[in-house]
Amino acid sequence: MKLAYYPGCSLKGTSFEYEVSLLKILEALNIEIKEIPDWNCCGASAAHSINHDLSIALPARNLAIAEKEGYESVLAPCAACSNRLKTAHYELETDDILKKKITGSIEMPYSAGMEINNMLEFLIKIAGKDKIKSMVKRPLTGLKVAAYYGCLLVRPPKIMQFDDPENPVSMDELVGLTGAESVNYSYKTECCGAINSLSKPDVVMALTGNVLYDIKKHGADIVVVACPLCHSNLDVRQREIERKYEEKIGLPVLFITELLGLSFGIDPKDLAIEGHMVTADRVLEKIKEL
Amino acid sequence: MKTVINEENRRNFVSLVESMLHDKLSKCYQCGKCSAGCPVNFEMDYTPNQIIKMTELGMEDAVLNSKTIWLCVSCNTCSTRCPKGFEVTGIMDVLREIAEKKDIISKVEKEVQVFHEVFLDNVKSNGRIFELELVGKYKLKTRRLFRDMFLAPKMFEKGKLRISGEKISGLNQIAKIFKDFE
Ligand code: SF4
Ligand code: SF4
Repeated sequence: MKLAYYPGCSLKGTSFEYEVSLLKILEALNIEIKEIPDWNCCGASAAHSINHDLSIALPARNLAIAEKEGYESVLAPCAACSNRLKTAHYELETDDILKKKITGSIEMPYSAGMEINNMLEFLIKIAGKDKIKSMVKRPLTGLKVAAYYGCLLVRPPKIMQFDDPENPVSMDELVGLTGAESVNYSYKTECCGAINSLSKPDVVMALTGNVLYDIKKHGADIVVVACPLCHSNLDVRQREIERKYEEKIGLPVLFITELLGLSFGIDPKDLAIEGHMVTADRVLEKIKEL
Repeated sequence: MKTVINEENRRNFVSLVESMLHDKLSKCYQCGKCSAGCPVNFEMDYTPNQIIKMTELGMEDAVLNSKTIWLCVSCNTCSTRCPKGFEVTGIMDVLREIAEKKDIISKVEKEVQVFHEVFLDNVKSNGRIFELELVGKYKLKTRRLFRDMFLAPKMFEKGKLRISGEKISGLNQIAKIFKDFE
């Protein structure tokens, strides 16, 4: 099966570490993906927040191009992008009037036959747990990892059709494959405030702070995520949250692809781990000693 | 609050919302589960279940000018948990879209609204998001020039901020999509 790749804007900008690391581990797993030619922004939260039709048409153009190029499956590593692509796909599949309107506007047909995977789904369904396990050369035994899912990977369940919306386990399973221990905590699927990061920073810091302090309390060494928005809030805003609530956090936030890469024995530099705002040096030292 | 509601206006508003939502307001039996789990309920002026009831009662001005619709982060916790399967997240989208189409500028949560607008302008002109331009324009529009600026130097150093964006080649197609739906 030809596999298309929809990077989305964040992976080409503030969350470049996610793209670098995912390309690296897919290379190791010998899985080929190809970027959708001339892809456009999916409209993210802004489009669905104020203009429904736009929020379907923007992702639809990408899906239609992928279909025209002969792809049947798209990987969208950004949780927000995969959420928007899946939503567009679902609405086009279930609403003929809307479909006519949208395909008329993008001037391309769309048969609604595309399979859309988020990063976790892709790793489990397409790469497969056995294959991943066989690649683990440096088991991360003793490392305590909190898997943070946030909202968009699992909700709304009707459309995402992925894992359990209240108690997801797929990322914990991937953590388990690396030999690390996944930590149980309460805020796995609580929202980080995502879209309002720039417009309501105080609210976002309160929400993200709840998540980070809970993880800290449960003794994790690091957090792993599969969403660039979650990453920005948990990593980029962490110092500010520490200052606001006057309590140190010091939790490195890694993408799940980076954690897998480390367990495959890939050099942290090739996974762009130094691109994060909260340094992971201490944890990398710990891993080296394993 | 003084609320005199004309029955015809009420019906029109309810049917507009329901047609955009593809769901019935009467489905909601006001159990409050949506509001209990809403992560931003502490900042809202009306809880999500109140917004639903107020919409049903035709309190158009109050809901369209509420803080709630702009504070909602579309996390979908409410819809996921609603025992009646009501589109709670969806109603927030619908109310924001109606406010936007009516040119109602939020007095209390203007920054959220402006952010969405600037974001879409960025998509319209480049086909993709160019973060520096997005943040720059947002700051100019909201006059919040210095907030978050302390993050910039380290983000540059880490390679998180590109100094130039790229435009897609199908910009004419993007222009058409915006023309059709804006
Ligand atoms: S959870 Fe559903 S039924 Fe209960 S108040 Fe909210 S919308 Fe109404
Ligand atoms: S989608 Fe909006 S209203 Fe619903 S729980 Fe999340 S923030 Fe609250």
